Amino acid sequence: MPPPLRLNAVAFISPQNHPILIRTFQKGDELKYHYVAHTSLDVIEERISGDSKSTECYLGLLYAMDDVAAYGYITPLKVKIVIALALTDSVVRDAEVISAFKALHMAFYHAVSNPFLKLDAATNSGNDQYPYLLVGGSKWKSFRQRVDEISKALGNVTST
Amino acid sequence: MSSRTSLQNPPGSTSTLVALADPPVRQVDGAAMDYFLIEAVNALRSSSAVAAARAKKIEHDMAEAGLVPPPPPAKNPTSAQGQRDSMGSVSSKSAAVVDEEEEGVRTRLEAIGMHVGGNFAERLCRDRPLFGDSLDAIKFVCKDLWSSCWDKQVDNLRTNHRGVYVLQDNAFKPISRLSSWEGRNEALRRAKLYVALPAGIIRGALSRIGLHGTVVPEVAVLPQCQSCLSRIIFVRLVDFPTDWLPSGCAGTFQIKLPKNT
Repeated sequence: MPPPLRLNAVAFISPQNHPILIRTFQKGDELKYHYVAHTSLDVIEERISGDSKSTECYLGLLYAMDDVAAYGYITPLKVKIVIALALTDSVVRDAEVISAFKALHMAFYHAVSNPFLKLDAATNSGNDQYPYLLVGGSKWKSFRQRVDEISKALGNVTST
Repeated sequence: MSSRTSLQNPPGSTSTLVALADPPVRQVDGAAMDYFLIEAVNALRSSSAVAAARAKKIEHDMAEAGLVPPPPPAKNPTSAQGQRDSMGSVSSKSAAVVDEEEEGVRTRLEAIGMHVGGNFAERLCRDRPLFGDSLDAIKFVCKDLWSSCWDKQVDNLRTNHRGVYVLQDNAFKPISRLSSWEGRNEALRRAKLYVALPAGIIRGALSRIGLHGTVVPEVAVLPQCQSCLSRIIFVRLVDFPTDWLPSGCAGTFQIKLPKNT
């Protein structure tokens, strides 16, 4: 039985390319996954601004670095989600990765529908910024909990 | 009874990935939702009246303390009596003050609508491909957003290909049952407040997609009385309009988008 996928990190990036939440599940340094998210942005831009043949949300494997492979997903509202999976020899099925992205999108949607976010944001940000940058902050814990849950679920997925 | 879906994850969901990716859809009673939206306008109107009164009091106090120059003599504040639509008359002593209050309520309704619209768009966009251009986004609003909020699709979409879109709905659900015993004009005036929330929803959805523009709602025609011949005499004697069969009410939304989209 092939080993389950190990999710190393998850990154949410706003339409203006600001980070919303970067969550890592490895003991290694967090900065590395900030870097991974940053470079994925370039690859995503490349893929999006190509000829408009791509109307797919799932961008597939973006690139692979030392021991992680980065997969990307962009929502129609231009929020980008990048996950870094540990490189394994086993086949990574697209369907699993896509359902992981959909679950992450739902978690983001739940976090962002909180009407109390604006109370906090109104005092800080200007008008042009994406108003949900705060959703990854330490005050709003449920988003992180949901993302943790998803990573556990992904780890539990076994091949059938 | 029509039901509208409220899409929320129940707490303590199972930890399988598939369950997390496609949470079960929860439903809300459609009629209860309609009543709620109607009453929300009233509640917000009285709430914003209180907020405005408080702001005026603070201004007044500060003027008395000499901190700010005294405001120009304000007209008589109107009807402290209820302005509920289901009762009574609005004694319009000073139309200017009333309009100012209405502006306050309208801005609040629109702000709420923007939040709701943005989140609706976020949820509805989940299973669809990326948007091609702004026309694509407007079509998404006309079809998906309209049918999930108001159970039908937009009847007519026109554009001048330079950033202005006109969406026409011949039986717009929030105002389809609105009538006023003071006559059609009065009902039209009241309807303007009730379309503020839907206008906010549209604007919020568009701005989440990335198109920042203005949405201007217009109400042209409200439910008319469709009486058969035997009843006309009755109406003249008693002299108040009733609507038995709403024959059509049109709401038009004009959307202006900036030119470079």
